[in-house]
Amino acid sequence: MKKFIITLLLICLGLSFIAMAGVAKQLKFAFMPGIADPFYFTMEKGAKAKAAELGVELIVGEYPKAWGPEYQVPILKALVARGDIDLLFTAPTSVEALIPVLKEISDSGIPVITVDTYIGDGDYTKPSNYNFPLAFIGTDNFLGGEVVAGQLALLLGGKGKVFLENTNPDVSSVMGRELGFRAGLKIFPDMELVGVEYCLDIQETAVAQVGAALQKNPDLAGVFGVNVFSAQGAYQAVVSAGLGGAVKIATWDATETLIEALKRKELNLILAQMPAEIGSLAVEWGFKHLTEGAEIPKKVIPGFFVFTQENVNDPEAQQYIYK
Amino acid sequence: MINYHKPKKIGISILRRWTLIFLLGEILFFGLVGTNYISLNNLQDILVASTTVLLLATGETFVIITGGIDLSVGFMVGFSSVICAKVMVNLETAGFSQVAAISIGVLAALLLGLIPGFINGFLVAKLRVPSFIATFGMYGIAYGFAEIICNNIPVHNLPSSLGTLGHGYLFYWLPGKIFSFLNKPGNLTRDELKHLIVIIPNVVVITFIFIAIFAFILAKTKFGQHTYAIGGNINAAERAGVNVKTHLIKVYMISSFFASLAGVMYVLQYITGRAPAGSARLLDAITAVVIGGASLYGGKGTIIGTVIGALIISVLEIGLVNLSIPTYNLYIAVACILIFAVLIDQFSPELIQKEEEI
Repeated sequence: MKKFIITLLLICLGLSFIAMAGVAKQLKFAFMPGIADPFYFTMEKGAKAKAAELGVELIVGEYPKAWGPEYQVPILKALVARGDIDLLFTAPTSVEALIPVLKEISDSGIPVITVDTYIGDGDYTKPSNYNFPLAFIGTDNFLGGEVVAGQLALLLGGKGKVFLENTNPDVSSVMGRELGFRAGLKIFPDMELVGVEYCLDIQETAVAQVGAALQKNPDLAGVFGVNVFSAQGAYQAVVSAGLGGAVKIATWDATETLIEALKRKELNLILAQMPAEIGSLAVEWGFKHLTEGAEIPKKVIPGFFVFTQENVNDPEAQQYIYK
Repeated sequence: MINYHKPKKIGISILRRWTLIFLLGEILFFGLVGTNYISLNNLQDILVASTTVLLLATGETFVIITGGIDLSVGFMVGFSSVICAKVMVNLETAGFSQVAAISIGVLAALLLGLIPGFINGFLVAKLRVPSFIATFGMYGIAYGFAEIICNNIPVHNLPSSLGTLGHGYLFYWLPGKIFSFLNKPGNLTRDELKHLIVIIPNVVVITFIFIAIFAFILAKTKFGQHTYAIGGNINAAERAGVNVKTHLIKVYMISSFFASLAGVMYVLQYITGRAPAGSARLLDAITAVVIGGASLYGGKGTIIGTVIGALIISVLEIGLVNLSIPTYNLYIAVACILIFAVLIDQFSPELIQKEEEI
């Protein structure tokens, strides 16, 4: 019995030490990704490195297995319900559905930064019901779309029919790419956009949709697949139509899979974002805001890198591959 | 003699209530190991996260008790969410008030949602199509129609007041200052918002009202008795004067009603309608029903059991997130619980019989 009481006391003592250590607490940031894919894994790595440098503890929410608010919101809520988080940065999976959810979190005293995707139209400077996040840190997808259109036109000699394989019509990032791509094509009078489809992040759907587009337009010259699923689907469709190499494929995001495909000459063009940079910036700005009260710019936009079959093996290009 | 058998009796009564004990054990475990797991906010979030599964599983319980299965409910959620959202958007642009647009949208989704249920029931009861096939067919049809209606694009620009309802709470309490019912107090300072305590999410209230009504119907009414009778022995039920065919059609309509309700709740919570909404929850719903003690052979099952089954899944799901354990472990854990549930279902009759012999 005596031994038991002593052990119990020792445990209590130990626990109180842990509790005291907790009082002199370090900042705790939470990162809630949009879906399990290399883009967000890379973002987490960038954020982790910066967090370690600044002495911030980073808690990463479970990666949702599919894209959509019904997958993300329960995880996000559970993450925030821990109650020990000082700042949240997240990639909202819907421009509308996440507004009330993030508002509630922001109201409860946790500052919110959106990364990669945003809520509303992403302009947090004007009065609206979605201007509460501290900042949007992510790629200018519209500009990127324009860049892809220009590069694809360059590959095709400024003329030909192109097709756009998109993913989700209610996601700000990919819709920005689409709008930018459309705008970019307008500069080239001989380039024609013959169709746009949405595969909802399902590769098989992308194969079918691009396959159908090829049937309809046998002279299709190029496809822009806005992310890994749509680009790889586009490639499979092109190959099974016996047109491998003849139809140029441009895509977005330098995942190792896509870089390998570029090296095998299955793809022609990859626009790389800088996810590690985005994650790192989110942590850095969040830290500055909480410790120094720094005013964060409402929009922080890192640049791009364009991979082609020619430069993919260059040593200085390697840093832009998502790992 | 009595003393000798007492532990065994306790063992059997534990076995009979193992799901409830398991659920409480889960909560206790995550409460001890997790961070702020047992907090008002987190427990409410668990309930909100489980609304879809709870609704689907309640309807599914009726079908499973009759010895059938309803696979269509997965895509029925998306089907009704799209109809609901689309009607709301169209009515609002046509100049209807938001209240009118929302109520008509909800009614339209619930009413149209009965049709697939009726067809399922008709195929199963009158044309003797196996329920697995009939409802699996409807699963695809509902998805296809949903995609056609929404043109492959999630429905946008829904009435703005939807979020107030879907993300609202029954009570708002600012200790010492405000206690408000249904209305979120306006003009709060940032600091006051931080301390605002929200109690009981609206969607949970709506969910449990419907679950309670149908739990009563199943447990206490003639309709419920007939449902069990059909599952126990369909021929005997027919000889006893139950109109089996009509009854089965009604049962499948109950199931699709609950799926439609889940679709409406989806719209309230996510302020959009999507064709694939809820499809990932179909198997969770069936799992919840089986964990809850219903037998796929029919004749057995309760709504309370199903509710506990659904909560076991979502408590685990949220718990794993709280501990930052990859969700893939959830599949393994839920699968083990499911098989354990069926094993208990297989062997408990023998044990209970032995108890009666004593």
